[in-house]
Amino acid sequence: MILSDLLTAKVFDDAGVRLGRVIDGRFALDGRPEAEASLAQARLVGLLVSPHSRGSYLGYERRDLNAPWPIAKLERWRHRGSFLVLWEDLHSIDDDGVHLRAGFTRHDIRLG
Amino acid sequence: MSGKGSGSLADQATGKSSANLSILGVALGILTAIGGFVDIGDLVTNAVVGSRFGLSLVWVTVLGVVGICIFAQISGRVAAVSGRATFEIIRERLGPRASLLNLLASFFINLMTLTAEVGGVALALQLASSVHYLAWVPVAGFAVWLVVWRVKFKILENVTGLLGLTLIVFAVCLFLLNPDWNHLFNQATRPAVPEGEAPATYWYYAVALFGAAMTPYEVFFFSSGAVEEKWTVKDLSQSRLNVLVGFPLGGFLSVAIAACAAVVLLPAGIGVTSLSQVVLPVAEAGGKLALAFVIVGVLAATFGAALETTLSSGYTLSQFFGWSWGKFRRPVRAARFHLVMILCLLVGMGVLATGVDPIKVTEYSVVFSAVALPLTYIPILIVANDPDYMGRHVNGRLLNFTALVFMVIILLAALAAIPLMLLSGAGA
Amino acid sequence: MTSAGKMFDAVMHLLDRQVLDVDKMPVTVVDDVELSDIPSGRIPPGTPAPVITNLLAGSVLGTRMFGGRPPSSRLNRIRWRHVAELGTALRLNIRGDQLDVLWTERWVRNRIIGRIPGGRHDPE
Repeated sequence: MILSDLLTAKVFDDAGVRLGRVIDGRFALDGRPEAEASLAQARLVGLLVSPHSRGSYLGYERRDLNAPWPIAKLERWRHRGSFLVLWEDLHSIDDDGVHLRAGFTRHDIRLG
Repeated sequence: MSGKGSGSLADQATGKSSANLSILGVALGILTAIGGFVDIGDLVTNAVVGSRFGLSLVWVTVLGVVGICIFAQISGRVAAVSGRATFEIIRERLGPRASLLNLLASFFINLMTLTAEVGGVALALQLASSVHYLAWVPVAGFAVWLVVWRVKFKILENVTGLLGLTLIVFAVCLFLLNPDWNHLFNQATRPAVPEGEAPATYWYYAVALFGAAMTPYEVFFFSSGAVEEKWTVKDLSQSRLNVLVGFPLGGFLSVAIAACAAVVLLPAGIGVTSLSQVVLPVAEAGGKLALAFVIVGVLAATFGAALETTLSSGYTLSQFFGWSWGKFRRPVRAARFHLVMILCLLVGMGVLATGVDPIKVTEYSVVFSAVALPLTYIPILIVANDPDYMGRHVNGRLLNFTALVFMVIILLAALAAIPLMLLSGAGA
Repeated sequence: MTSAGKMFDAVMHLLDRQVLDVDKMPVTVVDDVELSDIPSGRIPPGTPAPVITNLLAGSVLGTRMFGGRPPSSRLNRIRWRHVAELGTALRLNIRGDQLDVLWTERWVRNRIIGRIPGGRHDPE
């Protein structure tokens, strides 16, 4: 699987209601490095879902970044209602998009 | 997440920022910035505007100079702190689709400017030799390639910049012409659309003059040059001084070109359609010696800008695709970068060989520069505020405020350019 | 960023960034990344999350922009274990010469640029 198979995919809850689209994938560098000089393995933690926007490269909505303010305001508005859904809450991935399990949790989108 | 690249570079910078300044270095940097500011776009646009509108558009040059100071300063700092040049940043921050459109537009306009500059070199050689410029085009193109291929970055930048200083002869000749200073001053301080000119034409040339002062290639070149010369945060005070002193003095040269045209060409009703008309006031005021100086200056300015645009064509494409680039590497260590530059020079020479008027190409290139400006300006402004790249060297509040005011001006100029071009019949 | 346990977002922090080799020579831009396989269709609870296996470059850029995807055999891969550092650029722990991604660079060097006089010397 390549990452862009997931990006812009539609996201549905267990009742089939459309929640938005995948705008990014969150990873954790917590696996064991494969070799001495390598970076830790990058594990998929979850997907970022935005109800209104297809894509984001700037990430104002995920960080404490407020300048330049017109762009920060515009980006926050485009990504209002965005959330992080964890890998454990994914029920299936098919041609229609990503389906979430019943009782999934909307996590805060901000990077810790 | 603090980017490791930015973090480690920013850490080196603590404290000793002024230790790196030497008087000679400062002087050289400033002189190079003055001479390097003027290119064929500035020469032609200022002369055209001076001959038609007097000094009533000087405010645009002032605006453009302030704008390029802000823009060059920000992009130089981003390059020095993060080690990332302009088009790498555009690709990262806009994603592949938007940045590809951006690349196509920027690359095309840069190619147009490159063609105009090589044409300018050939026209200057025609002035010096009376041999038709088309015969000089292959010579000019080959010379540009040879310098890009073999000469060190620092040398090519300094030599063309210093020789370009001979354009000061425009300012000297303005004094020799003994103009009515009050009249000129009034034109400059109380701008109005002259009788017989349509408002759309006035504003069309306002956009053109703005584009001539703030050409995007200057920023590609400036930020990539910072990487070429391996700037760190320590070099920032030097670069700020070069920009903040050098560019305004370069802008002063631009105004002198316009003023000479306003004093000699406007009253005589001579429109500027060729390079010989641009330098006509100098010949009239200063005779053969002044003419010799101005030809050297035009040659250096256009040759320097031809080098910069050729390099910029390689920089933009290589940075978008992540290829190895830079003059600090041997050509074989940046093969695709050098191939792109060779091909672009061949295209530019090919376009000129069709007999298209280089002055016309120049006039269009400055207007399209204004159209493309937001494409580079906005991503750079965003990254200059991003601590992941900049650490503690993010933009301050005052700079951000000024930069935002300019963002609005740049967007207005970009949006107005094409409608004004159609309304005014491209300034006819 | 290199420290263990750090979180990052792939589009924001990884895609479209410059990749440098161990000698800081530019290699490519990260055009996409490949993940370890997950079950198609329903994902049984407790399935381990996928990890990044390869950085991808080359033809995959076109499909990322305009849709579709190249066949897996055509992908230009850089293995994740060859990544040493993640910052405003990615650093590899190997030399770029060993990578397939750079075949066009090598071709242009050997066939064109290297044959022009002066191409193998430092500028003066």
